[in-house]
Formats: sequence, structure tokens, C-alpha cells
Amino acid sequence: MDEKEARLVELVLGGRTEAFEPLVTPYRQLLLTLAYRLCRNIEEAKEISQETLMRAFRYLGSFDRTRSFKNWLLQIEMNVWRSLGERAADEETLRELATRNTLEDPQERLAAKEAREKLFSCLDGLSPREREVFLLRDIEGRSVKETAGVLRTSSISVRVHLSKARDKIRELVKRRFPELMEGQR
Amino acid sequence: MSCSRVRKWLPLYAASDLPSGKARRLEKHLGECPSCRKEVEELRAALAGIRAVAGREILDWPEGEWNRFMARVRSEEPAPRSVPVFSAFPRKAWAAGFLIVLALGIAGLILRAILSSPASSLLSESIAATAAQPSRTLVKDEVPSGGYPQDLPFRIRRQQGAPGRTVLAAGPSQEKTKQDLMSMTLVSHETGLKVHWTLNRNFEWEEKKQ
Repeated sequence: MDEKEARLVELVLGGRTEAFEPLVTPYRQLLLTLAYRLCRNIEEAKEISQETLMRAFRYLGSFDRTRSFKNWLLQIEMNVWRSLGERAADEETLRELATRNTLEDPQERLAAKEAREKLFSCLDGLSPREREVFLLRDIEGRSVKETAGVLRTSSISVRVHLSKARDKIRELVKRRFPELMEGQR
Repeated sequence: MSCSRVRKWLPLYAASDLPSGKARRLEKHLGECPSCRKEVEELRAALAGIRAVAGREILDWPEGEWNRFMARVRSEEPAPRSVPVFSAFPRKAWAAGFLIVLALGIAGLILRAILSSPASSLLSESIAATAAQPSRTLVKDEVPSGGYPQDLPFRIRRQQGAPGRTVLAAGPSQEKTKQDLMSMTLVSHETGLKVHWTLNRNFEWEEKKQ
């Protein structure tokens, strides 16, 4: 955690609650986007992000300041996602919701829509745990150790799921969207 | 090194997540195997492609919605300050403390063994050694003598006594006054159990003379 964040945490804990907004604003996109990629429903993603930030505010006093604030927020979000996931709809319903949300947003660009569909199509081929590991490590760029900390699991478990996830992603991209690979060679 | 063996390492190697030792061994194999090299290239291209796709869409909150939510958060009670007990004390300090306590415990046990007298050790051993015998002897005490000498000299009687202590008494046998015989009586004040042994000079069970 950097000095600026530490100072803001001190202010919030000292009763200056307005300091919470500058503390979490740098992560608002990250939390919303990750939640959306996990649940594929913009309203549910907002709900997950709000609950994450609300919990962060409530439990800020127990935050270990030797750790990364960003990873702490991600850890809370994964917990919220998992607790909500227990009552989540099945995959088919989620896909329908994702499509509906896309169509309801008039400002959305076609390229972003296509990109999202490709991403979701690949993520669909992963198990829930592989998806979490893949999103945190390969999309959000957390290290294996950080990913293990966020998911409260071991680095070995992360590597095992990551290995399977990457193998599946390679197969899926190669079969369905070979143009994505061509542009990267 | 065979392809089948290294193939499982390729997905981790493709994004530098393989431990360095395995990575070196894999690189040596890749230098000789075009098939595995191609697979690594595919993995890297697929990962880069999917990252590029993901980077095209970053969601953000509508400002009005974000401001309303932040206003709601500010209206909440300020977070209470608390220091987590375990995180306040670094893991290494916990580990060092544990090792010190363990070392002190071992040192204490060694000192206790050194400082305790040999007699008391023997006493402990004697008491421990008698514990297995009484149930067998209680039965044998009632059968006519004439069996193996080891089974005969015991006379077990339950007595009332103060609980919590075991008393060892040793002295000349009442039944045999020769100097090469020794009798020994163990009394447990906890259970009232009394064990009486008569031993010859070779520390063998001496047959009881009725």
C-alpha cells in the first residue's frame, strides 16, 4: 500500500468518511469490469461492486496495511461474487442477460460488443475456478502469489487451474477465433 | 526429456509462471523440439489475443450513480479501528517465538532427566513394571502352587488408603529369612492395590512357601 492510500485510510478511520471516495476511485473500473466478466450481468456487476466497496468501508479498520489495498478489494469482491454465485442463475440465463444488456445499451460500440462476446465465449469454456484464476492472472495481471492470496488458496492450486485454463483458452481461440491469434504472431 | 513430460509445463512457461529450474530444462527441450515450440507460440498468441479483446472494454460507473452510492457510503458509521492480532505480529516473529518455546521445552526435559536421581528412575521403572502383572497374579494367587515360579510369589490384596500416592516398600521376606531373598511390596494409595514380590538373589521370582 502506497503512502497516499495509507494517509487516506488513516483519515477514514479518523472519521473523515469523505476520504473514502478518493481511496477507492482508482479501482472503481477494475471492480466493475471484473464483476461483469464473472457474472455477465451489468446490474448484478454493479450490485457486486457496491457490496464490495460497502464491505471495504465497514471493515477498513481490520485492513492489514502491510498488504496491497487493491488485492484486498479484489479479495472482498471474489468473496461477494462467490456468496452471490450460490444463488446465481445458470449459464444459459447469464448468457441471455449479457446479450440483453448489450442490446439495451445504445452507446455501446460494435467493436466492444464483439470483443465482449468473444471473451465471454472463451470464458464459458472454463470451470468457475479456472475462470477466476484466468481473469485475475491473465486479464488483470495479478501475479500467481497475489492471485492465490485473493482467492485464499495455494500458489500450487493457482498454477494447476491456470495451466488448464490456458490450455482450454488456446484450444477455444484456435478453433473459434483464429483471427485473434493471427494478429499476435 | 520427452514431449509428453514437458507438455504440461507449456501453459505456465508461455507466460513466465514456471519455476526457473523447470523453465531451463524446458528451454533445452524447446531448442530441439519444433512441435513444442509451436505450441508455446500458439499459447502466447492466444493469451495476447484474449488480453487485447479484454482491453477493448473497460466498464465504468455512470457519474450520477457513483456519486449517489458514495453519498450513501459516507452516511454509514465510520469504520472502527482495530489491529488484527496475527497481522500485527509478523509471521517470522511468530515462527521465531515458537522455535524458542520449543527449544526451551526440550532443554527443560533434558535438564529434568539429568537432575532427577537414578533411584527415583528405578522406582518409576519398578512401579511401571508391576503394573502389567497384578491382573494375571490375582487369578494365579488363588490357584494351588506348583506352576511356574514367576506366577506364584504374588499376593495381591486391595486395601483402603489415601488416594494419589504409590508407596514402594522393600525388606526381608516374612516368609523366608535367608539373606539371599528379598521381598518388595508396592502399595497404590490411589487404588488400594498392593503387590508383594519375593525375589531370590538372581532377581527371579521366588516360590512362596505356605
